[in-house]
Amino acid sequence: MNDQIRNISDTEWEIPQGFVSGMRVPGTFFLSHRLAEGLEEGALTQLANVATLPGILRCSLGMPDIHWGYGFPIGGVAAFDEDEGVISPGGVGFDINCGVRMITTALTAADIPDMKGLIEDLFATVPTGVGSKSPVRLSQHDLSNMLTDGAANAVELGYGMEGDVRRCEERGAMPGAELEFVSKKSRVRGIPQCGTLGSGNHFLEVQAIDEIADPATAKTFGVAEGQICVMIHCGSRGLGHQVCTDHLKVLEEAVKKYNIDLPDRQLACAPLHSPEGEAYFGAMAASANYAWANRQIITHLVRELLVKKFGIAYEEMPLVYDVAHNVAKWEEHEAADAAAGRSRVCVHRKGATRAFGPGRSEIVQEFRDAGQPVIIPGSMGTSSYLLAGTTTAMKRTFGSTCHGAGRVQSRSSAKRSLTGAAVASDLAKRGIIVRAPNAAAIAEEAPDVYKPSSEVVQVVHDAGISRIVARLRPLGVIKG
Amino acid sequence: MTFEELEHTADVRMRITAPTLPELFAESGFALAETLYGEYQRDAATVSFLIEAEGKDAEEKIVDFLSELLFLTETEYLVPVSFDLAADGNAVCGTVSGVLFDRTKHAGGIGVKGISYSGISFTKTAAGYELIIIFDI
Repeated sequence: MNDQIRNISDTEWEIPQGFVSGMRVPGTFFLSHRLAEGLEEGALTQLANVATLPGILRCSLGMPDIHWGYGFPIGGVAAFDEDEGVISPGGVGFDINCGVRMITTALTAADIPDMKGLIEDLFATVPTGVGSKSPVRLSQHDLSNMLTDGAANAVELGYGMEGDVRRCEERGAMPGAELEFVSKKSRVRGIPQCGTLGSGNHFLEVQAIDEIADPATAKTFGVAEGQICVMIHCGSRGLGHQVCTDHLKVLEEAVKKYNIDLPDRQLACAPLHSPEGEAYFGAMAASANYAWANRQIITHLVRELLVKKFGIAYEEMPLVYDVAHNVAKWEEHEAADAAAGRSRVCVHRKGATRAFGPGRSEIVQEFRDAGQPVIIPGSMGTSSYLLAGTTTAMKRTFGSTCHGAGRVQSRSSAKRSLTGAAVASDLAKRGIIVRAPNAAAIAEEAPDVYKPSSEVVQVVHDAGISRIVARLRPLGVIKG
Repeated sequence: MTFEELEHTADVRMRITAPTLPELFAESGFALAETLYGEYQRDAATVSFLIEAEGKDAEEKIVDFLSELLFLTETEYLVPVSFDLAADGNAVCGTVSGVLFDRTKHAGGIGVKGISYSGISFTKTAAGYELIIIFDI
């Protein structure tokens, strides 16, 4: 670890002001000593760079899955003052509202004797990988409704159940979507891709709940040991990517207009209430809503297949929750001086998850006393976790936690040292079936290229910024 | 081939070299295409599209050019096989020719979400030009 970094506790570290020039606040990140050994200098610099942005509050935060991204590090969180702060696509990412959801089923592993067959059928059902096309035919009018109403629009079109919507963060649709700031190019990319998984680290995984850590909360969330679940990880596809590309160009100019001094061009930003900042927010919110609809449509395709294959009822596959990983949102948080009460701030989460603690009105009624469900995916061969948000997260991290395991090895290095066939074969010996469009995709996303999900999750649990409820073991995976 | 992949934890980082600016843009286009599709045979072109990009500096011009190409790959299912480009002042324009995406030939790559400014480096060298750029995965 860089010797300027101060170790605060077994799970917490501080980057002092001055680590990079112009830091307005310190940086804080959460890592165990073991995970800290592998932290990249580039991620530290990015975390410090975020601390230079105007209006940043308290500190620039890094979750334990932190790694080198662009603009913000992946695993980065920052909140900005409404009057003095900025909004930056570099704090959201190209894949706006990349996120994850899980459904439970009435099945157990014993009900699925042919997992390979199920994975092949899912691969044939859910469009996956580069060049895939959606079975959904959207009109421009449909797309407009989707950009405004998100998951609810997908349900209205017949892709889901009414109860799904309330189990999504923001109830599956952020307010503030402004369609006039979503370009024609974004729409052209979005129409054929709605209902597709994409590629890279996006996946669809069949899992079994193999350990319950908190029986009372697990019961509240509707999960039980042995239950088969399906987890879906994807985002706003080309539509969101284009929105990011379009607005980065505008915000590059805004940086000069508003005399903002940036250490990294990818942190291009504008004051929150400037025309440029509000335009980006409106387009980003529309993209986030598209992403919720996208995951909703994929969920429907999965449910229909499971109904057909196993004769279970569609209604027996409720959504546990759906969380966003890449988004900027207006939220109410306590000021650093608690006596000052709550204030409205814009929280950027880039590869991080909202983890609101018990009592927050944003959490759906049936989960409000337990805290918001938090879904942390593993990596093909490692476990995923269901957690709950905490009061500590509200105080320390603007109600945020990690979003996954976090990469430690590059894609090129993975392809040099591993073959897709060997990774798939090794996983098959451990009872995990993997299917992808090509072998390289399997090698690039091998479990060994990620931090162990158990260690990452243990850090957020030990730091108190979320608490473990259940562990899920992978049985079959589709990689995009 | 005048591009090579460099180390990057999460994304794809490329170094591209070429003796002239139009060739640098073309090689950057192929670097993007091989990221998307894996190595592929450059068959005789069956489709072509105009491509235009602009920017206040070389970095913005190349990001804009590659973003335009990415748009064509996603919306026209274009797999590029040749470029005919002219770079002039703040703009680059010309034609990209190629074939349509075929899953049996072009499914060896990974989706690119966007072209990043992070760590971008554009340098004039004794032999021409060098570009280092990250494709967001």
